[in-house]
Amino acid sequence: MIKRSFFALTRPRLGYDTPEPDPKEPKAIPVPSNLILLLHDPLDDARETLIKKGDKVEKGGKLRLYKDSKEYTVSPVAGAIKVIDTYSDDFGNTSTYLVINTDQGLTAGTGDMKYDLKDTIASADEYLRTLPGAPPLKTLADPDIKIDTIVITCADPDLLSTTQQYMALKFMDGIKEGIGVLKRITSVRKFCITIPENMNVKDEIDFAQVFRTSMIYPANLPPMILKEHLNMILPAGKTPEDMGICFMSAEAVVSLAQAYKTKTACHEKVLTVIGKQGTSYRVTASIGTPLRRILNAFSIHVNDHDRLVIGGPMKGFSTYTVHHPVQPDTDTVIVQDRDNIPELSDNPCVNCGKCVRVCPAHIPVNILVRYLEAGLYEDAMDKYDLLSCIECGLCAYVCTARIPIYQYIRLGKHELLKLNADA
Amino acid sequence: MNNNKLIVSHAPFWHDGDSLFKTNLNLMIAALPAVIFGLVQFGAPALGVLALSLSTAMAWEFIVTLVSGKKASIHDLDSAVIGLFLGMMLPATAPWWLVIIGTFLAVVLGKMIFGGIGANPFNPALIGMAILALSWANHLDFDAAYVNYDFSFTALAPLAAVKAKGALAVSDLFSLNDLLMGKQVGAIGTTFGLGLIIGGVYLILRGFVRWEIPVAFIIGIVFTSLCFNLADPDKYASPMIHLFSGYTLFGAFFLAPENSSSPVNRIPMLIFGFCAAGMIMLMRNIGAYDDGTVLGILLLNVVNPLIDAIRPKALGKGVGHA
Repeated sequence: MIKRSFFALTRPRLGYDTPEPDPKEPKAIPVPSNLILLLHDPLDDARETLIKKGDKVEKGGKLRLYKDSKEYTVSPVAGAIKVIDTYSDDFGNTSTYLVINTDQGLTAGTGDMKYDLKDTIASADEYLRTLPGAPPLKTLADPDIKIDTIVITCADPDLLSTTQQYMALKFMDGIKEGIGVLKRITSVRKFCITIPENMNVKDEIDFAQVFRTSMIYPANLPPMILKEHLNMILPAGKTPEDMGICFMSAEAVVSLAQAYKTKTACHEKVLTVIGKQGTSYRVTASIGTPLRRILNAFSIHVNDHDRLVIGGPMKGFSTYTVHHPVQPDTDTVIVQDRDNIPELSDNPCVNCGKCVRVCPAHIPVNILVRYLEAGLYEDAMDKYDLLSCIECGLCAYVCTARIPIYQYIRLGKHELLKLNADA
Repeated sequence: MNNNKLIVSHAPFWHDGDSLFKTNLNLMIAALPAVIFGLVQFGAPALGVLALSLSTAMAWEFIVTLVSGKKASIHDLDSAVIGLFLGMMLPATAPWWLVIIGTFLAVVLGKMIFGGIGANPFNPALIGMAILALSWANHLDFDAAYVNYDFSFTALAPLAAVKAKGALAVSDLFSLNDLLMGKQVGAIGTTFGLGLIIGGVYLILRGFVRWEIPVAFIIGIVFTSLCFNLADPDKYASPMIHLFSGYTLFGAFFLAPENSSSPVNRIPMLIFGFCAAGMIMLMRNIGAYDDGTVLGILLLNVVNPLIDAIRPKALGKGVGHA
């Protein structure tokens, strides 16, 4: 954890991590006998599901809950469904989890499922949504969203993670190939690529416009890239997709290229794992691998009251179980020792203004947080720029009163969405 | 299957380690050079005033939280800071009841009735001090307070002397060196100019005080007093006397930047510091009081919410709706 420096005349500078210059091969985690898959589709007890407990699944087989379901997941192994149950995330959204068991002797001889991939975005969206890196194919295939620029992020958006930088160092050819595939299957013509400014890229990149991004957080967050490199200010409450810009991780592009080459899906996700002492490990694990397996491989012991964070320290989420699976977009896993968990408080804001000075979006956080605490979300949106927030988490990081400001902001946005949906 | 009970909370999972306790502790540490000098200069009575002030301030807060059924909050040291600052502004001979009433006014009337820490529109220590000064001015007269002391330097409170006799008459009595090194009559914690500057610079470098407010405040004092001084050097004292006497430096580094009652945006902070200093100089030179620091800063506390409305436009606000 980066503490404030002794002298703190200027605002804090949180630097992104960089991978070692010549990265080693990641440690491969063997595919466990039970894989857990999350399906972002809630279970409905009143309806009969297409897949049932005990059903056999093929490696690469698509799994959907209902006939009209838009969400699907892909099984990374051949096996049988052991459990189908409801999972709820940290905002109370429900989805479904499936446990796939491989060691039931039913699976011998089955190879990878071959896909009939055509050069259309619809065809890619049909099979490849859950590739490692979670390519935003759903967005690209949506006829209502007009995307004209794809930004490929080789710079990890959050701190500590080096997964995307590793992909860029090792698989630049794959990225080039992936852009070729994207050019074939979409109508997007403008491709940009973000590369950390201190990264040495061996070959010249002529297949995309290169953005050299700063090493200081939050330079790699999409709204900041829009502002710094595309000279676009993201209007409050809009997403980059609304502006015709789609962000895609380097890993997603590489796995897309591979999928088109082999006509099968790859399921090996690259992850950065940060142990309790801050040691960083790089691993590859099959999507669906419970995190416990990965932590055991490095003898990282998780005790009671420790914290297991998925994603980075600024924007990630913490999970309540060590059985949480690796997902297509899981770049980082952090284990925080109970002694290193900063305490939050219910103190009121003391108006010290550190948040105001650190905010990259110039939001009057000191006043905003008072409105949010009082539940006045609409006033917070109209008068105090709630929707301008780019969700970097820096305000809560510096807060003297230790108010969970970022949580308040996310809650406020969430409640506003609900209000709008009801209206 | 091992199912550990993990801590689940929201991002960010890091914190820079700052806390209210740490901030307030550092404010008190920064005040130490001036406090220790005051104790040496004024002796045991000064210690008595400071100890009583600090302890009763915390006691008042504790009593209020107890009565109102709130969670005890004295461990954040906020009321300790209020008590210490109030004590530093009193003369060493202040009677015990004055100190207790002062801390009551500061902590209860200045802070707790507004809802506790962070909710006070005025600097609590200044609220206490202002009411004391208006009610018992005779007990806060520094010239009267130290009649039984035997000092090796001019035993006249500089600002009162300037007010009474005009700048010309006192021009030889106070040298810059004396004022900086605390050779002047005044409150316990506000006479040692050098100590206050060291404390203030420490706070600014450590990031506990925003540099804009003290800097604008000092520029405001120098600029306004220079204007007066140039207009009539016989009547109005030089910037040097105004800057290094009375509560000026204490106000610049410790009172004006009080978090809750001062602005947070850059331009408002500069306006706040400069205007507070301007008000002080108007009171000193034209008004009825010797030292207008207390009321000057309180006046600017009133307009703080208005000035702080000057703020930069948020990212993405007002674009893209065309």
